[in-house]
Parts: sequence; structure tokens; C-alpha cells
Amino acid sequence: MNQARCRRHEAVHSRREFLEKSAFGFGALALAHLIDKESAFGSVFPGTRAAAANNPLAAKPPHFTAKARSVVLIFLQGGPSHVDTFDPKPTLNRLDGQLLPPSFQSEGLNLQNLKASEAKLMGSRFAFKRYGKSGLEMSDLFQRVGQYADDLAVIRSCYHDLFIHGPALNLLYTGSNLEGHPSVGSWVLYGLGSASDNLPAYIAITEGNLGSRSRKSFRSGFLPAVFQGTLLRAESSPIMNLSPPPQFDVAEQRMMLDQINVWNWRYQESRTDDSRLSARISNYELAFRMQAAAPELIDISKEPPHVRQMYGLDETPTAEFGRICLLGRRMVERGVRFVQLISTDWDGHGECDKNHLQNSRKVDKPIAALIGDLKQRGLLESTLIVMVGEFGRTPVMQGNLGRDHSPYGFSACLAGGGIRGGKVIGATDELGFRAVEDKIHVHDLHATMLSLLGLDHKKLTYFFQGRDRRLTDVGGENDLAQRLIKA
Amino acid sequence: MELTTLKVSLRFCGMFLVFAAQAAAQSTVSTARSALAVIEKHCLICHGATQMSGLDLRQRESALKGGTRGPALVAGKPDESLLYKAVKGIDALKMPPGKESLSPADIEILRAWIVEGAPWGGSERKAAEPSWWAFRKPIRPEVPRVQNPEWVLNPLDAFVLNLLEQKNLKPAPPADKRTLVRRAYFDLLGLPPTPKDIEDVIQDTSPDAYEKLIERLLSSPHYGERWGRHWLDVARYADSGGFETDIFYRNAWRYRDYVVKSFNDDKPYDRFLQEQIAGDELWPDDLDLEKQYKISRTKLEHLEARIGTGLYTLGPEIHESNMDARKLLNEKLTDAVDTTGAVFLGLTLGCARCHNHKFDPITQRDYYRLQAVFADSKEMETPVVMGMSVADYKQHYLGLIVADEARAAYRLFEERVRQRVVKAKKAGFAAEAVEAYEVPEKKRTPKQQELAEPLAKAISEIKIDDELSAEEAKEQRTLLDRIARAVLALPEKDAQGFPFDGIMDVPTASVLGHIDAPLVPEVYVLHRGDLGQEREKVGPGVPEVLGDSHSFVESAAGPFALRNRAKLALWLSQDAHPLTARVMVNRIWQWHFGRGIVSTPNDFGRQGQLPSHPQLLDWLATEFVSCGWSIKAMHRLVMLSNTYRMSSQYPDPASARLDPENRYLSRMNRRRLEGEAQWDSLHAIAGTLNLKIGGRPVTPPLAPDELAALVGSEAKVASGRLWSVSSDPAQHNRRGIYVVSRRTFPYPMFEAFDNPENAISCPERDVTTVSPQVLWFLNNRLVFQQAQHFAARLVSEKGNQPADWVERAWQLALGRPPSNQESQEALRLLDAFARKAAESRDWPDLPDGLRAIPLNQAAALTKLCLSVFNLSEFSYVD
Repeated sequence: MNQARCRRHEAVHSRREFLEKSAFGFGALALAHLIDKESAFGSVFPGTRAAAANNPLAAKPPHFTAKARSVVLIFLQGGPSHVDTFDPKPTLNRLDGQLLPPSFQSEGLNLQNLKASEAKLMGSRFAFKRYGKSGLEMSDLFQRVGQYADDLAVIRSCYHDLFIHGPALNLLYTGSNLEGHPSVGSWVLYGLGSASDNLPAYIAITEGNLGSRSRKSFRSGFLPAVFQGTLLRAESSPIMNLSPPPQFDVAEQRMMLDQINVWNWRYQESRTDDSRLSARISNYELAFRMQAAAPELIDISKEPPHVRQMYGLDETPTAEFGRICLLGRRMVERGVRFVQLISTDWDGHGECDKNHLQNSRKVDKPIAALIGDLKQRGLLESTLIVMVGEFGRTPVMQGNLGRDHSPYGFSACLAGGGIRGGKVIGATDELGFRAVEDKIHVHDLHATMLSLLGLDHKKLTYFFQGRDRRLTDVGGENDLAQRLIKA
Repeated sequence: MELTTLKVSLRFCGMFLVFAAQAAAQSTVSTARSALAVIEKHCLICHGATQMSGLDLRQRESALKGGTRGPALVAGKPDESLLYKAVKGIDALKMPPGKESLSPADIEILRAWIVEGAPWGGSERKAAEPSWWAFRKPIRPEVPRVQNPEWVLNPLDAFVLNLLEQKNLKPAPPADKRTLVRRAYFDLLGLPPTPKDIEDVIQDTSPDAYEKLIERLLSSPHYGERWGRHWLDVARYADSGGFETDIFYRNAWRYRDYVVKSFNDDKPYDRFLQEQIAGDELWPDDLDLEKQYKISRTKLEHLEARIGTGLYTLGPEIHESNMDARKLLNEKLTDAVDTTGAVFLGLTLGCARCHNHKFDPITQRDYYRLQAVFADSKEMETPVVMGMSVADYKQHYLGLIVADEARAAYRLFEERVRQRVVKAKKAGFAAEAVEAYEVPEKKRTPKQQELAEPLAKAISEIKIDDELSAEEAKEQRTLLDRIARAVLALPEKDAQGFPFDGIMDVPTASVLGHIDAPLVPEVYVLHRGDLGQEREKVGPGVPEVLGDSHSFVESAAGPFALRNRAKLALWLSQDAHPLTARVMVNRIWQWHFGRGIVSTPNDFGRQGQLPSHPQLLDWLATEFVSCGWSIKAMHRLVMLSNTYRMSSQYPDPASARLDPENRYLSRMNRRRLEGEAQWDSLHAIAGTLNLKIGGRPVTPPLAPDELAALVGSEAKVASGRLWSVSSDPAQHNRRGIYVVSRRTFPYPMFEAFDNPENAISCPERDVTTVSPQVLWFLNNRLVFQQAQHFAARLVSEKGNQPADWVERAWQLALGRPPSNQESQEALRLLDAFARKAAESRDWPDLPDGLRAIPLNQAAALTKLCLSVFNLSEFSYVD
């Protein structure tokens, strides 16, 4: 568990230094703006356009034609029960309350905290219906999302073998159960760069409790820190240190910044071989722009009433996640490459149905609104939405109507990004314990995401501690992209 | 027991297996040499000392004899030689395993060699000797001759200049004195020099002025804080275990203080290593401080050595792993081996956890043998106070009972009020709702559940504080008061004045001890690192390629036998160990120059970088050992060299072009200060830095946005548990090394400036340049506060003349006077700010020192000070 790497260290010095020297933060365009600009004190900055060209966040071409330009990863943290959401199990419902059939007892089900001989099957308390022209079957928990069934592809055969939250979350977020690996978003940024010049290219936003788990979910691991996600909180201050001290007004700050720039450029002039120094200056400009752009991004007061209604901003259960999803749409609109929206409380150990119902009331409407809103604005085609948790839950009961973790078979739900919807891929066994058909490992899911973004998961590598690292490690052979985009 | 005696008694059989030369077959020497090189490179990892499948390809006899699959070689007959067939892939057996095959050229070399009779004798180097440079003992090289001997101040310069001359590079001219003083201060203390410090050196025209400066800095107690912090990165130090619950290590700081003290004492590195790995085994001591009124010096030294083993008690730990003892043990052993490998050996042993190391000759077996070294160890708490203190604690325990009872009384009160409120709530609901509610939740029918729900909700939402009657409120105050008084009555210190831990705990240190022999867990090679797939059982040992592990086992016998960690520590700290000294001098070099001679300080293996100055590295390693492993001696060597004193500017454009990464050191490297050093500087310049050394970690306050981002929900912020700010404001201005270092809740400023994540050993901090860093400098409330203090300091020191402020500000923050142009610009900026500030009157928290001048000037000066903090020159050292 401790194989995490010292966060940003990279073994190969020359490459690390290359990136470091060209680490222009988000501000390449800001730099160009700065160079053209005369400061309040009439100083002209030396030209460093060439240096700006080294910006590691500059937009890069994909490996092949991309279907999606941006990603919204909706993470249902805690592990939503697949048999209660996207994976209907009539047999399980029929055997509700009974002991496991002998065939299941003998196969070494890895039930961890439960005994196979004593565990009782628990059917779903939720009704499954067919939605859309495709007749995609989903439970009531996602009935509003169900309206977009013909845009959805459900993978019912996701699997891995990590039973507890920490490592499983690491796996879903970073492709490794260990600490210190880069998140999916960081890999995407590393591959494609930024598409926004005054906002971070990778933003995560979370409801309620921000546990350490979600904090680690947007780190850049061993990739340079410039690729890490920026955390936005749903409420209070979205980005740290974004507003000047109260004793400043913007004009004063601009005045100060202009003079700081003069002094910093002068310091840099006699040290031109050190591009960190010019990068630092460009960061002052980006920071200044972010002070304005980030509040504009999060100010949803100008959204029309029908939008507020669609996301459920004014109803108690949906208000928070509605705001998160609306912010997600606004980020996609403003060119943020990778958006990570986190719902935190799906760990239904006791009274799983109650837990899931509460969560459904919070997220179903907002997620449906996000899909519909993006579609309406013509952005769904270029935005890949992925909804998944770190594992599924057991078909057997734990404690009082609860379900325990179950990583051996669970569901993921995808939309947009060129996907032709109304599809189901793979299946679990008749009771929902394990993926049996068309098994899709997390590495395959990641490979698929990269593929839809035009990135070859085998080519997207980074040399660290002795080898070329990949998001998909040595897996990802089962890339579903072609199947997903086929009609 | 004296350590030297121990060392002698160990009788190591020598680092490397040396084999008798084979009878030299008369053959083409070059064919044999090439063939053996191929074997050495591709085969010996498994078929060398490890003898996988019983095959040992290190000698001709053993190769002819072969292993379990039969003879590997049939002289003269490649097609009958298993070795050839395997590399060629003729039959089912294909070697080496994995996708990669030998190149056709290599296969042809082997074929030709077998045809010639597979001779060994022509090879000058024995195939058995480790082929990788870092696994061979360093041999002290001759100091090279250079074309320009005047430049050479000490041997180190000769090695550097020699390479520069070979590469047609020139050394940069010396840095000016002012720059050099600032460089030395940040390098050795991590603090900026005061203007007086700089002037003193400049005024001192004696030839040894600079030497005296270095000595002064080396004897400063703040040196240990600076260099100790470097070591803490390597030691993956943190005050908590990380992951979701981030379990707190209340004693980790004792290891931190141990490290600081060790650097300050210039503890020999071999001893420093021995203490951390095996302080308890090499200096066995019951540490029974009870029954003694005065603790002997020896006992104190032994206690210090024991605290060194704290290294192995502060790694990352998953809370849930405590549910499964085997898993927890496995994680601890993994951490121990990976940490030992990275920290002391400079090797990435972790790869061998799941499979034989793909690149270095470290086998999976080696890995688990190292785990076995730690298998009989366990973490324990040892008191660090005398018996009298413990007796005092027991005497005062009654006070804890008083506090406990006060709390119990409060809980009873709480429950009584709750019951009253529950009764009142029930009265507001229909009878059938109450009736349904009374049915135990699990037995309710859905209908009852529905009926009970609103009442259950109302009851679950009861907040005692909102429900109190006037009388109850009074009672509550009394009861809370009782708890408070009971807590306040507990002594903070024992009778000797030694502080208790926390509310009142006996002060202890977390250290390593031992599991009782019958309970020592067995260690198995784990297939793919999977606990469920145990393979061969292994005993303790060190990697075969580095030493003769048999001696490790044999010396276990006898009445004075050493325990396993002691053996490991002594093996590592042998003068002739190929890695230990090299790895540490390389770290020292890296912390001075910003880059190691081996630029991958935790990986001296094949995947690491080759040394830029291999001869220099070996010279330093041998010098280090002959100076008694003195780290301060290395500082003197480095800092008194001409190399260290160069300017950070390239001497000419050609050097910049030829060596853009400055690999060969034609100039000094410019460095961005680490988060802690910037934090320390900010406070030092503002005149607020609290230089107290050591003690429990401190928790400075956070701005609301930082707190929200770090801790999460408002409820958690309110509970204060996740970020409990130190009550004494003087503690908020301590040096960065003392700020609490939690794996899950890193201090935001340090995190923004690339602090290590501390999950594993961090050999080198990254230096990123990202916008959150400048947002911190521009907008953070703490920076603004320090700017106010800085301004107040300028006023108190220089009166009310703006030109004097500017002069002093530059001197304090940048260690130099401002240029005329800068002065004018600064004064103009001051004016502009003052004009602006005249319009506003609101200025909360103005420090007293600033009340001496008009408010608009105070505002302007603060903003100028903030501007100075934002200069690149503040954060960079030339």
C-alpha cells in the first residue's frame, strides 16, 4: 500500500527538467497578452514568445480522430449497488430471502465479511423498467436519467478484485490500487492539454464531505503537478486564495502586479536560461484572470428559471448536486477539459435501499438535467459522460437490509462523446455476484475513455521509476470505443 | 558493548564471491569475453547466485553440469546445448523469460562460443563479479591533474574542473560575497541572513572570512532543522498514517527531533544509520528509567538510539488494515523493506515484491529475506521520563477519574433532557405514529415504518442545546463548568517540571522492539506479492548480489549472536559497502547543488541515471568514510570548494549551449526555495519568526477558504478536530519543519510548493511553477498579515522616511540594497498606493507598529512589502 511515489518526482532528470522549465501553468495565452501589454509604468517586457510555445498545457493533437473533446466523470463514491440500479436480476428477486444455491456456495465467493453458508439473497426493492426506444432496463432510482436511455451505454460487466474503498478508489481514479499514481484527468491533460486560457483545465467538484479519498482523486501523482486537478467546492470559496485581501481593490492590485512584473522581468532578464522565472511571471497573469474568470464560472445567478428548475436548484434534495451538475455544464462550455463531479455517500452497508433512495433523490434529476442540457446545447456529442462507483454491492444481505462491497461485477453508465446509446455491454451471473460475459476490467474502461478522446492508451506513457508508465498499466486490451460508437 | 568489537566479531566473508579462475582454454579471447558478457547481462540475474532451477552459469563446471533440466552446455555442440536452444527458442523452453529475446547478434556470439568449446578463461573479468558499477566497492581514485591548477582549492574542484576541461566548458567566475552569504545561509540554515550578517562578512577582510562564516553556520542549532528536514523527506516523515481516517501519530515528532539533534551533533552517518535500523539491538538497554533518579549519560544515549528506530513506526497505515493482522504485518514489512532500500541502499527494492526485479539483480527471494529481517520486530511505546514522573502520573491519575466522572455526570444530564424532549415530541404526534415508533425498528411493518418515520426524524434531530429550560440551562453550565475545572486541575507537568503529553499522558516514544520468539511470524515468498499465494519460506538475509547471505545466517548462532536488524545495520554500515557511503554523499551533494551526481538519489540501479562525475562520487564516498562518516566534514569540503562558490550565471554562451542542464557544473545552480524555507523567510523578514527548537508539532490557523478546501464540510470545520489550531499565537510563527505534517491534510501552502506526499521516501522534491502558488503570495491572508508586520518593522527600525523604508526592505528581503531605479519605482508605487488609500478608511487589524504613521502611508507601505514578498528574487537563491 505504500508504493505511492513521492508525488512529483520523476526519475529521468532531463525530462523532468524539460517540463519544469516549460511549466507555464495555465498562462501561455496570458503570457502572450502580457508581452503585448504596456504596464502602468510604461515598461516593455522582453519577448519570450518562444518560451510560451513550451507550455505543457498547450492543446495537443490526439493520436487519432477524437469523438470527445471533454469528459465529465460522475463518481458515485461508496459503491452503488448494481443490482439496484443498472443490472436487473429477476432470479435474485425470485430467490429473495433464501440461502445461496449450492452452486454459488462451492465456488469460493469472496464475501469477506459474510459467510457464504449463512448469507441470504436480497432481491432489489426497486422496480426495473424499460426506457426509450432501445428498451434499456434501469431501476426507478435513475428514472430521470432513464429518459435519456437512448443516449446511454450501460456496461454491466465491470470488475476488479479490490474489496475496500481506499485501494478500489485509487484503481478507479488512477488505474492503480496504490497511492501516488496520476488520476485519469491528469493523464487526459497530459495527452491533450488545455482548451481554456483563464480557467484550470481539470476541475473536480464534490458534494458534502470532502474525504481524503476524493482529494487524492484529482492529483497528478508522478506526472508534473501542472496536470493536477483544481478542486472547486460546491459552496464557500471555490479556489483557495482567489480574492484579494479586503484592503485591496482590483485597480490597486493591478498597479501592484504591474510593478511586480517589471521587477520580476528585470530579474529574469539576466537569467534567461531559467524558464521557471518567465513561467512564474505568466502565472501572475493567469492568477489575475482566474480571480475574475473563476467567480464568473461559479456565479449561476444569471441562469434562467427553467434551467434552475431542470437541475432542481430550488428543491432541498437536489439543490447541492444540481448546482454541481450545472457548474459541470458551465465548465464544459468554458473549455474545461476534464470535469469530475463527486457524489460521496453510496456506501449502503445498512439499509441499502434507504441509502440509495436518498442518493437517488439527490442526483437522479441533476444528472438527467446535465445530460439533457448538454444535448440541447449540442455539447453532448463532444462530451463524454461516465458515471461509475468504485465497486458494486453484494446480492446478499449484510446486517439490516444492507449490502457489502462487491468488486467482482458492477455497472458503469456512459453517454455522449460519440457513443450510440441504448446499449448494454456484458453481464453478471444470474444473481449478480460476478461479471461473466464480456468482462470489462477498470483498465478497459480507462482505455475506452482515452480512446474516445483520440488517445491510444498504450502510447500515452510517461517514464517514471524505471519504466514507461500507463494509465492502464499492463491491461486495457479490451477497448470498447469502436463498439460504443457503432449504431 | 563497543560497536567496533561487534564489527570485528561479525567476520563478513567479503562482499563479493570470488571464484577461482577457470583453466584457460586456448581460444579466441574476445569470443569468450563477449559470450560471457551476454550471459552476465541476460542470464545471471536468475542463474547466478540465485541458481534458479539449480542452474549456475557463473562457472564453466556448473554450467556444464547444468540444473534440473540437465546440462546447459555441450562444448562444441550448440544444437545440443540447452542454453543455446533456449535463447534461440528451438524447443518449448524459451529464455530469457518474457517477451524480449536476445538479439540475433548475441545469439550468434553464444553459438560461436559454444562451437569453440565454451571457454571461460579468456575473460578478464569474472562473470561472478557484479557488473553494475554501483554494486562494486568504490575505489578511491587519483585526484586528476587539470590544466588550470590555480582554480583548484580542494580535490573536489580538481574532479569538477577536469570534466569541464574535457568537455570544453569553463567554470563560472566566483559569486560576489553578498550572493555567497545569502547562498550559504539558505543552504545551511534555510533562513535569510540579516543585513548585519551580510555586512559582517563583507567587512571582514581576513582571508578566512568565508571559512569562519561556514563554521558559524555549521554550529548554529538551526542547521539541524534545515538538514534534518531534508532527511525527513527521505524518511517519508509524517505525523499521521494517511488514508481516510489519517490516524494520528502523537509521538512521531520525537523522531523528527532526533533527526534534528543528530544533524546538529554531527552524528557519524554509520551510527545514524545503525540507530535507525537497530538502535535497540545494537545498544540493548531495558530503558527502565524507573528506579533511577538520575539517568546516566549512557542510558540517555541508548534512549536516543532507540528513538531512531522511530523511522519504522511512522509509515503510512490504513486504518482498516488493523482488522486483519496478517495484512497489517505484510504492509508494515513492505514499508520497512521499501524504506530501507530507498533510504540506505538507494535501490528500488519494491519491484521485487511481485516478481524478480526486471532490471536489477534483486530477486523476489532477496526481497522477502529482507522482510524476514524485520519480521521479529514490533512497534512499541517506551516511556521517555524517569520513574518519578511515572509515579507522579499515577498520583495524579485520580484527577483523571474526577474529569471522567464529570463527563459521565454530563452524559446522564444530557440523556435526562433528551428523554424529556422525546416525551414532549411524542405528545405532538398521533397515537398510532407513537405506537409504530415504539416497535423496534427492525420489526416494523412497512406501514408502521411509514407511520413512525416523521416522529423518528423529529427525535433524531433533537439538539439538546436548543431544548433546555432555564433551569436545565443553569444545570448544564454547572456541569460543563465541573468538567472544565476537573480538566484544568490536571497538572501539565510532573514534579520535576517535565511536561506530560496531551491532557495528561506519560510521555513516550514510538520505537521498535521485538515479538516474543515463539510468535515471530514466518515469512514466505509471495507469488505476485499476493498474501494468498505463499511460496517458499525464507529466513533473514541481504540481497545476494551485494553480499554473502550465508554469513548472515551462520552468525545467528552462539550466545552473543546479533539479532537480525543489527546484522543488517552493520552490514550496511561497513566501510566497504558499495552503496551506503555513495548514496549518502550523493544526497549531500544534491542538497547543496540541487542535483545529485547520480540524479536519481533513490535509484542507483540500472534504471537510475549514471553518475555525471563517477570518479568524484567515489572519491567523496571514500573521503566520507575516512572522515569518520562526518556529514559536517562533507559540508566543509563542498562549501569551501571553488565549485560551490561559482556564480549562478553561465560563464559564456558556449557553456550554456554545450551543457544546458548544467550537468557538469560550469556554474552554480539557481534554486527555488522549498515551501518551508519560503515560509521561514517570510516570517524572518517580517520579524515574527519564533526560533524555538523542537517539541510537539504546531497547527497554524488557516484562512476560511483554505480550511473549507482542506477539511470539507462545515460540520467538520466546526468540530475543529481535523484542524485544531494551536492556541498560543506564538506557536503560529514557528519554523515550517514544526508545522504538523499530516498525510491526508497537508498544510496548503506547503502543498502548493511541492511538499512530498510522504507515502514513500522522497529523494528529491519537485519544483513546479503553477498559478496557485502566486495566488497564495498575492492573496493569502497570512502573507498580508506578515506584510503588515514587515511594514511595522520598517517603521520601528527606520522612522518615517519612505526612502529609508525602501532601502531597509530590500536589504532585509533580498540581502542587497535597491538600485536607484528600483528605489524610485518603489517610492512611486508607495505614493500611488498612499493616494489610493486616502480614499478608504477601513483597515481592520492594523498592527500597533503601523499606528506611528498616517493610515494611508501604513496601507501603502504594507502593500509595498507585499510586493517585495512577490518578487522572484525573494523565492530564488542564486
